[in-house]
Amino acid sequence: MLEPVMFTGGVYKHDLVIELVEDLGGYLLQKNVTQSEVILLLLVPAEDLKILEDLTKELRGELTRAPLAGTEVAVVTPTLAIHHLPHTACDIAEYLRRNGSKTNMIGLARGVGREIAQINEYETALINEHDVAVFLFGNFAKCIIKKEELYKGINIPVVVTGGPEIPKGEMPYAFEYVSSVGRIAHRSKKANEIGNLDRIVAAVGRALDKMRADIEKDPLTTSPPRVMDVVREQVPDIERSYSPLPIALNLTGCRIKLPYDEYHEAIGDVRFDEGVTLKEIAKILPSRMKNYTLVRILPESETGMVF
Amino acid sequence: MDPLEVYKVEAPGEEFGARKYREIILDILQDLGLVRSIGRLYVYVDIEKPYFAVYGMLRGSLPPLRVGDVADVVKTQEGYQVKVNEEEHLADMLKVLWEKYGRDRVEQPDRDLLTVSSDVSPADLIVTDVDAEFRRDLTDALIRIAPEGFRNRRNEMTEDSFLFIASEETITPELIEEVREKIRGMENA
Repeated sequence: MLEPVMFTGGVYKHDLVIELVEDLGGYLLQKNVTQSEVILLLLVPAEDLKILEDLTKELRGELTRAPLAGTEVAVVTPTLAIHHLPHTACDIAEYLRRNGSKTNMIGLARGVGREIAQINEYETALINEHDVAVFLFGNFAKCIIKKEELYKGINIPVVVTGGPEIPKGEMPYAFEYVSSVGRIAHRSKKANEIGNLDRIVAAVGRALDKMRADIEKDPLTTSPPRVMDVVREQVPDIERSYSPLPIALNLTGCRIKLPYDEYHEAIGDVRFDEGVTLKEIAKILPSRMKNYTLVRILPESETGMVF
Repeated sequence: MDPLEVYKVEAPGEEFGARKYREIILDILQDLGLVRSIGRLYVYVDIEKPYFAVYGMLRGSLPPLRVGDVADVVKTQEGYQVKVNEEEHLADMLKVLWEKYGRDRVEQPDRDLLTVSSDVSPADLIVTDVDAEFRRDLTDALIRIAPEGFRNRRNEMTEDSFLFIASEETITPELIEEVREKIRGMENA
């Protein structure tokens, strides 16, 4: 069982942490260097966590649990206008990031209004590439209920936020509804506002747990971090990708930030130690996000093996 | 405590929304520094129709800002010397002076000093129309305040009041009359 954790500390000797995690059989998901500080998102075997904790103490760093690490969350607003940004949308996205998730903000083209709100096929498909979507709505109960149309066609769990209390029965298509958020024109800083952000993170966590439980019923042939590792090793061009996170992990695969047309064959031919290639155990698809490549790992029932 | 004399927000059937919009409106007006110029504010939201209406009374209009208000004007041998006291108006003032006297007759020997070679005093020239600027900011604030989907808007501004209506549907004369009726009801309550 791999435990998702976040290491925060000085740049000096932080490579010792990376080395240790690799020796323990864990994975480095993301590395962010900000001047003299470094933030590492790691997956570490739960039983060896103590060793990493000791090293962190020695380096005067900080190790916190990042329950959403290795997942991608979409924060969806009706549009990218001043009504939703920077408060609420950025606060929520940033808070999810602090808990380790890779968060993308998506503004719909025509998501505004009660009667006129729409979502198109491209937007739906883009949101479906994530693990969980968080839809941010406003302060009027009737509008929030009516706007169900926007997320009806989405296959991943949808956490809806809004202002007023609404009974769960009114919103059958939402995985969970988090109230008392709504539209806010100031930064979240009061204790109750931070509490609301915690409730959103908890709801996203529950949605992810449900996804994990669903996957567990028919386990994936291999784990996404493993795919990330071999792709990093065997497709060296990934190092030249300008994205801060060249390989973003999902629960069912990963998004590789290399152009699909040029690289999908190279990525498909990546070979595991077990002798199989990636294209035998996964679907390599063009992503809706830019021209990236999407990898979806097939379950055991389709490939007949797990490693 | 509200900085406004009278501040009412009503949204029948949406008590939470009304309470929340109270905060949002105050936040936005404070951000743009408009609170002090508004005396009374009535907001009525009907989410069934739907429409969003704001009626406000302004606290007296401000006179336009003249060169004499933001600078000391002294008569000299060559013409006039203008010592700028409030530097934020310098750019506007230069533009006005250039327009009136021409670029070659206005000089800036020092950062806060201007000389004008002319017999006509620049003291009465208008630097900025503060009132017009306030009205522009107010319109911007109202557009920010109204729910985003309400794209059909109507804004009536008079000397001392404004009525702003935003709706998803076409704004008809009947709707405007209805809004006026509701606001009158709130005023008299």
